[in-house]
Amino acid sequence: MTTGVAVAPVDSARGLRGTLAAGTTHAKLRLLLLTLLALTVLWGGIATWSVAGHASAASNVRAVSEPLSLDAQRIYRSLSDADATEATAFLSGGQEPLALRRRYQADIAQAARQLEAATAAAGQSAAGRQLAILSAGLPVYTGSIETARADNRYGYPLGAAYLREASGFMRGTLLPAASAVYAQENAQLAVADQQATAVPYSALVVAVIVTIGLFLAQRWLARRTHRVINPGLLVASVAGLASLVWLISAVTVASVQFSSARDHGSAPVEALAKADIAALRAHAYESLNLIDRGGDPSNQDNFASLQKQLGPGPGTLLTEAAASAAGSPGSAQAAAATRAAPAWYAVHRTVLSLENGGPRDYLPAVQLAVGPGPNQAGGLFSALDQDLTGAMAADQASFRTAARSGQDALAGLEAGIVVLSLVMAAGCAWGISRRLAEYR
Amino acid sequence: MSARGRRVRSVIVATAASAALLWWPAGPAQPAAAPAGHLTASTSTAIQSQAVAPTCTASLQPPPGPPTVTPGSWMAKIRARGYLIAGVDLNDYRLEYLNPADGHVEGFDIDMLHAISLAIFGDPNKIHYVGTTNAQREPFVESGQVDIVAHTMTITCDRWKSVDFSTVYLQAHQRILVEDGSPIRGVKDLVHQKVCATASSTSLTYLVQQGAIPVKAYDWSDCLVKLQQGQVAAVSTDDVILAGLKAQDPYAKIVGPNLTNEPYGLAISQAHPEFVRYVNAVLAQMRADGQWAASYDHWLGGPAPAPPPATYQS
Repeated sequence: MTTGVAVAPVDSARGLRGTLAAGTTHAKLRLLLLTLLALTVLWGGIATWSVAGHASAASNVRAVSEPLSLDAQRIYRSLSDADATEATAFLSGGQEPLALRRRYQADIAQAARQLEAATAAAGQSAAGRQLAILSAGLPVYTGSIETARADNRYGYPLGAAYLREASGFMRGTLLPAASAVYAQENAQLAVADQQATAVPYSALVVAVIVTIGLFLAQRWLARRTHRVINPGLLVASVAGLASLVWLISAVTVASVQFSSARDHGSAPVEALAKADIAALRAHAYESLNLIDRGGDPSNQDNFASLQKQLGPGPGTLLTEAAASAAGSPGSAQAAAATRAAPAWYAVHRTVLSLENGGPRDYLPAVQLAVGPGPNQAGGLFSALDQDLTGAMAADQASFRTAARSGQDALAGLEAGIVVLSLVMAAGCAWGISRRLAEYR
Repeated sequence: MSARGRRVRSVIVATAASAALLWWPAGPAQPAAAPAGHLTASTSTAIQSQAVAPTCTASLQPPPGPPTVTPGSWMAKIRARGYLIAGVDLNDYRLEYLNPADGHVEGFDIDMLHAISLAIFGDPNKIHYVGTTNAQREPFVESGQVDIVAHTMTITCDRWKSVDFSTVYLQAHQRILVEDGSPIRGVKDLVHQKVCATASSTSLTYLVQQGAIPVKAYDWSDCLVKLQQGQVAAVSTDDVILAGLKAQDPYAKIVGPNLTNEPYGLAISQAHPEFVRYVNAVLAQMRADGQWAASYDHWLGGPAPAPPPATYQS
């Protein structure tokens, strides 16, 4: 028992030791019982608290943070895609292609849906203000786009001005807000993820103390009473061990599953999303450059800089996304994306040389840039985009499965620890009270 | 492309203006509401307290006879290249703009380029257009990125320092565009009002001098967007540009008298004086054979006034 009380201040320890030495065995047994009950309560409390923390973090990751982060990322994607699609549609002339019109409408509908979901889930969080900017701004954007479309149909160049305004508003206000929401949701996901996979140190420390306490109590009792086994304390020890093994295994399984959810799920999804968004932006600049007839060199400069960021190559977004997705269900499509990009760039270079090549080549350049065929820039960009979104969908599914397994591993643990702690307490009380009875 | 090419060629080749005039009204691109009243009525209005400074509109004298591509000249190099590179705006309705319906660049300024292309190549459509903002006009000419700029460019003494100009091909005047119901009647009403103009335009400089709060835009059509959205109280620039804006908005109106003289010229690099003379010869031909008037009637609304007279440096 000395170990159990060694943490107490020196004076009181000396006093307690004095009491133990001077007092009767009866008194010593009562003190032992109280100490063991206190340790049991400590274990039950700390372990339950620790498990509750893990369970709530796990549920937070699976049900709140990750879906919110995904929503934010999809809002960004939908809006970027709408912007790029509208620029391409505009390039195609007054009567825009039906496929592009539908794609734009699907983007706006999806953005509105995800915005609603994210706003409902965000509540009073920091993302709320950015989401309000997005909710207020989306109809302004679509309003300008529809005005642009109407003017375009009349054959008025005013349509181009409205498109420029809408696109500027999108890139200057809406996309930065969506990006801020994504950054905030992602940071919260990282925190929740860390909590769900953290090692429960406090519970482990208490477990060690309780183990030592139970061991010393049984050794002392065995020496005092000349009985090798105290059934009550044995029951308490078995219950304690069971709860510890359950806790360690469940938390380990949960941790492994959540790490897997992150490494083969949310982390590759994030890397793939970054690459996809860069590709979307590059595609928008590709169209804007043709709309402007190369008068504004910043469009091609932006394309070139995004192409450099995208890669593939060491340190580029596509290569990093492929590396992050390696071993995940999306790895094949992520690898396909790195192979698809250079084909797009090659056609883009042809578009540029056509565009700069003289008057007869401008309309063929536009055709090559917006065409959906397998050898046209529009088609090759779509192939890249589909590879990336396909890989994201696969890894997102992988996240869901792993996160569910992780959360399932923690199921019942909290209640189990409470029950086993009660068994421990009952065991201690029963075991010591039988010895106490002998001294009456 | 080919149908339009034939149309443009037929007009430009036509020496008899009557043939062109018979053909034009049936053309699909005939302006629906010709802004004739605003342009022709205002040209006679007195210019207020302007025109004191030298106008610098005298250009280089072309050699006598029709435009000729002399060996070794810049025109010969353009012919060898196969096309003329022209810096144009794509947003000035009826002057130079991209028609969204077919993706073609067209307008009054573009007709000047068609005539030059026809003279060099025998084909009015050997033109490669480069989108050019107001601010890019001089740099693009100076750097040789374009052979010529046709972009509602006012000839000023200051600009002669960096580029050469053709003779005046259109005489414009700065005026004011407002929405119906606006209390603005003239330049005095612009003081402390937000007024839109493009960056690096002579209109912007004038507005600052008049005490207006200038709001810069990328293109003139962006100014109409701002006007329609109530971000500015007025747009002020040359009447021909304003007429193009008004044609896209039935609730816009042009108010007040002519404020300034804005003689438009085609900008050409100072490295190619022979090309300036050549272009002047083409313009002289257009004035004489009725092409200038036909283009004016078609794009800006007839009846066309007399073309601005060519003045040459002695």
